[in-house]
Amino acid sequence: MALDGGFADKVVVVSGGSRGIGRAIVELFAAEGAHVSFFYRQDKAAADAVIAACDTAAGRVTAMQVDIRDSAACREAADKIVETHGRVDVLVNNAGVIRDNVLVGLEDEDIRTVLDVNVAGVFNVTRAIAPFMISKRAGKIINLSSVSGAKGGRGQTNYAASKGAIDGLTRALAAELASRKITVNAVAPGVIETEMSAAVRELAGDDIKSRILLKRFGQPREIANAVWFLASSLADYVTGQVLYVDGGFKME
Amino acid sequence: MAVEITKAEVDAVYPTVAKTIADALGSEVDEIRPDASLINDLGAESIDFLDIVFRLERAFKVKIPRGKIIEDARGELPEAAFEQKGVVTDAGLATLRSFLSEVPADRIKSPLKVADVPRLFTPQTFAKLVIRAQREQGAKA
Repeated sequence: MALDGGFADKVVVVSGGSRGIGRAIVELFAAEGAHVSFFYRQDKAAADAVIAACDTAAGRVTAMQVDIRDSAACREAADKIVETHGRVDVLVNNAGVIRDNVLVGLEDEDIRTVLDVNVAGVFNVTRAIAPFMISKRAGKIINLSSVSGAKGGRGQTNYAASKGAIDGLTRALAAELASRKITVNAVAPGVIETEMSAAVRELAGDDIKSRILLKRFGQPREIANAVWFLASSLADYVTGQVLYVDGGFKME
Repeated sequence: MAVEITKAEVDAVYPTVAKTIADALGSEVDEIRPDASLINDLGAESIDFLDIVFRLERAFKVKIPRGKIIEDARGELPEAAFEQKGVVTDAGLATLRSFLSEVPADRIKSPLKVADVPRLFTPQTFAKLVIRAQREQGAKA
């Protein structure tokens, strides 16, 4: 028997939904019958491809071009979604970027971009949407962290700092919103087969794989499954947690 | 000097303000007495204030900066004259009595911690907040 996540007609917002893990999350919730609005920054062709792929899904998918570094744009998008659907049930803060380099080789821009998108972006989207959840006294917020936030990896100081920040934000926000029955959790992927990790996999794939207990990279869908769980009523009693979905990479 | 807020102005917005507060607190609108302390009498928490302000912004289509009540209440009094070591000074109390004229004066008494000022807020305090926001935005428009 399939588990029912109860997502039929639920309103789900996903940032960074046009590619990689975000796309898998959008597709999964759409298949479950949710109304999914996803944000993308610039790749309209990729966003259209996601909508096309969800064409026969039970739920509806809408793409919105939003640069999450712009807090006013985030508020506008949130208002629009609530105008249409009346509420937001699930927020998945997925959008993120990498600018890998050893610390002494990082340019100002490499640091700023990663922190602006991965950290400030999460603040912006969440500040835009959480007030509606507070008013409804219900909601699930799932942040995409990374195994990098907890496990040191060369060339990722900027990214690791951003994801460590997300882990802290997740716990603090869980404490703030608990009285409104809003849960806040994070999913921390290991190395997942997406465009974003292509360079690192190419560079050190075999070495990394040998350090993953399950000896393989993850699939975007395997991250989406964890997000699905945390967004479902099955996880009503889970809050402030970082769930590692990394094939055991963090343990090694 | 700010123009006094009239009773007619308060009466005009009050029903929507009371309904908004009732919705935010999950109470019945007739439980929302105009001079009730939101925190002491109606059980509001700080997150409820954020929710109430957020709902009022939407209901009245105005923008209300967070922390606006205390900022307005202090008026032209410098922060150091308003409070010392987290306790409202006598000058601060006088300012509060005048600004929060809707709050029964016996509730504004020494010693009053700055952190406890929100305990004074009543539904009428929020009605006045809405009116000031409407005026400011009307002035800008």
